Amino acid sequence: MPDLIIDGRAVSVPKGTMVIEAAERLGIMIPRFCWHKALGAAGACRMCAVMFTAGPVKGLEMSCMTPAADGMVVETFHPEAVAFRRSIIELLMVNHPHDCPVCDEGGHCLLQDETISGGHSLRRFPGRKRTYLDQNLGPFIQHEMNRCIHCYRCARFYQEYCGYRDFGPMQNANRVYFGRFDDGALENPFAGNLADLCPTGTLTDKPARFVSRRWDCLRAPSVCLHCSLGCNVTALSRYRRVARIEARENAAVNGSFICDRGRFSAGYEAIPERPRSARLDGNAVPAIEAETALAARLAALAEKHGPGSIAILGGLRSTMETQAAGIALAQAAGWRAPAFFATRTEQAATQAALAVLTPPRARSLAEIGKADAVLVLGVSPLFDAPMLALALRQASRAGAKIIVADPRPVALPLPFTHLPVPPRQFPAVLAVATGSPDAAAAAAQKRLPFAPELWPGLETAAKALAAAKRPALVFTPGLAAALPDDDRLGLFPVLAQASSAGAALLAPTDAPGLDELAADVAAGRVKGLVVVEADLFAAAPGLAAVLGKLDLLVVLDYLPTPTVAAAHIVLPTTTIFESGGILAASDGRLQAASPVQSPGDPVARDGAGSHPPRAFDRPLPGTDPAPAAFLLDRLARGLGLTLPREPLAALAAAIPALAGLDLAALPQDGLRPAFAGLAAPLPAPLPLSAESGLAVIYTDALFATDEPGRYAPLAQAQTQAGPPVLLLHADDAAALGLADGLADGLAVSLECGNRLVPATLHLSRAMARGVIVVPRVPDLAGLPPILGPCGLRRR
Amino acid sequence: MADKKQGVVGAFLDGAAGLAGSYAATMTHLFRKPVTEQYPEYKRPLPARTRGRIVLTRSPDGKERCVACYLCSGACPVNCISMQSEVGPDGRRQAAWFRINFARCIYCGLCEEACPTLALQLTPEFAFCKDDIADFVYEKEQLLVEHGGKHPDYDFYAHAGVAAGGPKGSHIGEDDPVDVKSILP
Repeated sequence: MPDLIIDGRAVSVPKGTMVIEAAERLGIMIPRFCWHKALGAAGACRMCAVMFTAGPVKGLEMSCMTPAADGMVVETFHPEAVAFRRSIIELLMVNHPHDCPVCDEGGHCLLQDETISGGHSLRRFPGRKRTYLDQNLGPFIQHEMNRCIHCYRCARFYQEYCGYRDFGPMQNANRVYFGRFDDGALENPFAGNLADLCPTGTLTDKPARFVSRRWDCLRAPSVCLHCSLGCNVTALSRYRRVARIEARENAAVNGSFICDRGRFSAGYEAIPERPRSARLDGNAVPAIEAETALAARLAALAEKHGPGSIAILGGLRSTMETQAAGIALAQAAGWRAPAFFATRTEQAATQAALAVLTPPRARSLAEIGKADAVLVLGVSPLFDAPMLALALRQASRAGAKIIVADPRPVALPLPFTHLPVPPRQFPAVLAVATGSPDAAAAAAQKRLPFAPELWPGLETAAKALAAAKRPALVFTPGLAAALPDDDRLGLFPVLAQASSAGAALLAPTDAPGLDELAADVAAGRVKGLVVVEADLFAAAPGLAAVLGKLDLLVVLDYLPTPTVAAAHIVLPTTTIFESGGILAASDGRLQAASPVQSPGDPVARDGAGSHPPRAFDRPLPGTDPAPAAFLLDRLARGLGLTLPREPLAALAAAIPALAGLDLAALPQDGLRPAFAGLAAPLPAPLPLSAESGLAVIYTDALFATDEPGRYAPLAQAQTQAGPPVLLLHADDAAALGLADGLADGLAVSLECGNRLVPATLHLSRAMARGVIVVPRVPDLAGLPPILGPCGLRRR
Repeated sequence: MADKKQGVVGAFLDGAAGLAGSYAATMTHLFRKPVTEQYPEYKRPLPARTRGRIVLTRSPDGKERCVACYLCSGACPVNCISMQSEVGPDGRRQAAWFRINFARCIYCGLCEEACPTLALQLTPEFAFCKDDIADFVYEKEQLLVEHGGKHPDYDFYAHAGVAAGGPKGSHIGEDDPVDVKSILP
């Protein structure tokens, strides 16, 4: 632990810390361009020069390149250092264009700040300015190369940190250029971070181009809703729409970065189709009227068929406050236990996946990045949880072996071993890779033998995990029962949706699955259904098919889903940007999001003029949406019931893992509950036999397969038009007679329920046999787990 | 004064002299040329830098100068300026809408000082009355004028170096673009 003195204040830092970082611990920000917390130093900009007056290093040195050492005395405001930095900023500005007014970085530009703080205001150099031609880098990043100061942050992030090679530095000397060899969209699914990283306006956020200055935006800490990892973001809102999403530092989860899905999937809060007013039997009515009618109809239903004929269904993209309010309402009113998950098995598996995360075994996403061997089981990192891929990349850069066992073809920007096995072999892979001398594993292997070509990969996995000091396992919830009882092996589950963990934590043990609910509705045992922020047509097509049997369908939602269109009564709710709330990440970490804007209509141009309306109404138009928890509480009052004042706190107090946690004051990094482990061993899941058909594997795409993202215009624009693309192993296709002729891109139709959905079939050899990979789109929701031999046919 | 003794006659003479002086001044002014300007009939020319109504000027090529950079609205101490920026048809950054609430404006001129493109200028026009206070909210169409105001020759895009103002390398004081695929000096 070197002890040093910076600007007269003593600080003690871990060995290897650079002086610039040590200064930051004291709250001293040494000017910098190239140094970044996550990327380290390049020594490219010379901006962080400070004076070392005593100790092992003497004189003017770069604080980003000098490791802190005992006895150092550093003066950041030494006149010589100040003069040096002043001359550096003048040199950097020699070629910088005179275009701040039309530059989007203006207002949060590091170059602007440091030019002004350095006092440089007059260009003394009489020469001409260097210029560059710009490139079209795709829909997310705007390129304006004249503004570049050559700090290399973009190239280091893009190539070293992320592992993509299509963008980087070219040329030499005074002509260094950062770009692609040719114009084209950036291949990196984390490229949006370039806008955050670039200290000038060279790389800026293209969708947010010219939308606002940072000082005009309302800003609030938020949590990403687009996968289960719970990355921290900052939401910037202007004129009641989210102008931009930026990464927010959380050392335990996402570090300094987020993926492009999280960054560019907002916008659903401002679409014109969003439900903005209460609807009663298809007609827009004042909220109070809809609420009164709702309470009356629910009371009538309860009287006629008993309170057990009413069910409430919670979504997996709601905050925990909303989920808790739904549970509290169901309990207070004596309705059926609330349903959250597709099946009871899925709920038990998700609960088990969290329960096994005992303190010695639980790993955060950041700790996955520090593991020295990672086995990823049943997760395709880039699609299921994109930031996991970046964490794996960091582990891999430090020398970790990465093994991914997943039936889908997997692409990752790092060297890894892919084991294309179907899900029924996951427990066997786990048993072999963790080397447990378990008879069950041997039995599983006997029953479901691996293909011979998988054996080298399995051997690699077993050797890597055995040799590792900090091995980690990333798994899907279904595997919780098969996990080896070994505290050395860190665990990190990846769940289905952003609030899956919240639902699993809160759901009562007798909560039914949506499939049971569908059966009850079909049998007439359930007459009234209250759906809170869920789309049944995507989450439970079986239930959606029998909605006609209901006497009353009530939907509380902020997205214009088909379920909203089918509802008798609609109450509009607010998004996370308007109400905030607590979300549980996939490792159970509880994190709070703050509201950033009010739920009114965005100030857009009106149809008639070229400017916003000139008349100002009070209340603002479109402010009917209210937090779902608030609406549920009002509904309870309408029914003459009293819910706890804080349903989440009341519910959490009764849950062992959450009891005693102060949910009102969650720390900045979030709070991971200490889980106690599995109470009772779970029954091992029955392996599905796939002798007769193809096992259906749903897969996410990078954009617009998560529910809010499907309604985000920008994310939607990234999806390809045309029929959904199915993936099948080439040998399976040959067996089905689908591999002849132009085998790639064959037009097929898929039997889904009682419809035939047109699709395009692509063949691959990098995937498991006996499975068909289906995109998670509403059209294809609700396929049977095993697709029969005639489920897939030529079109 | 209070401690100075003055006789009755002295006081009388003092008052008479004062009265006579005042009458004399009045009488001389009666025969002087009046200096009053008949304001609504005659409008005195004000200096060009007088701070009155705000306009948005145009560059020498007749295009809008305002790039909707939000600096004036950021500088405005009474928050009377609002706007939305957009990409114009020729790729230039411009205001989709631009609005100044003159009922709130205090004519301090900070917006003009902040304007980096010399688009926003205060004019000497100070007297514009409305029946309805909402009519003081001026939109972009009402603010735009057809000239360059106090700075007729300045063109921001000739200096800025962005491609929207002409090809790269064609602006004032610029070198030709670097050929990134050649290492010849």
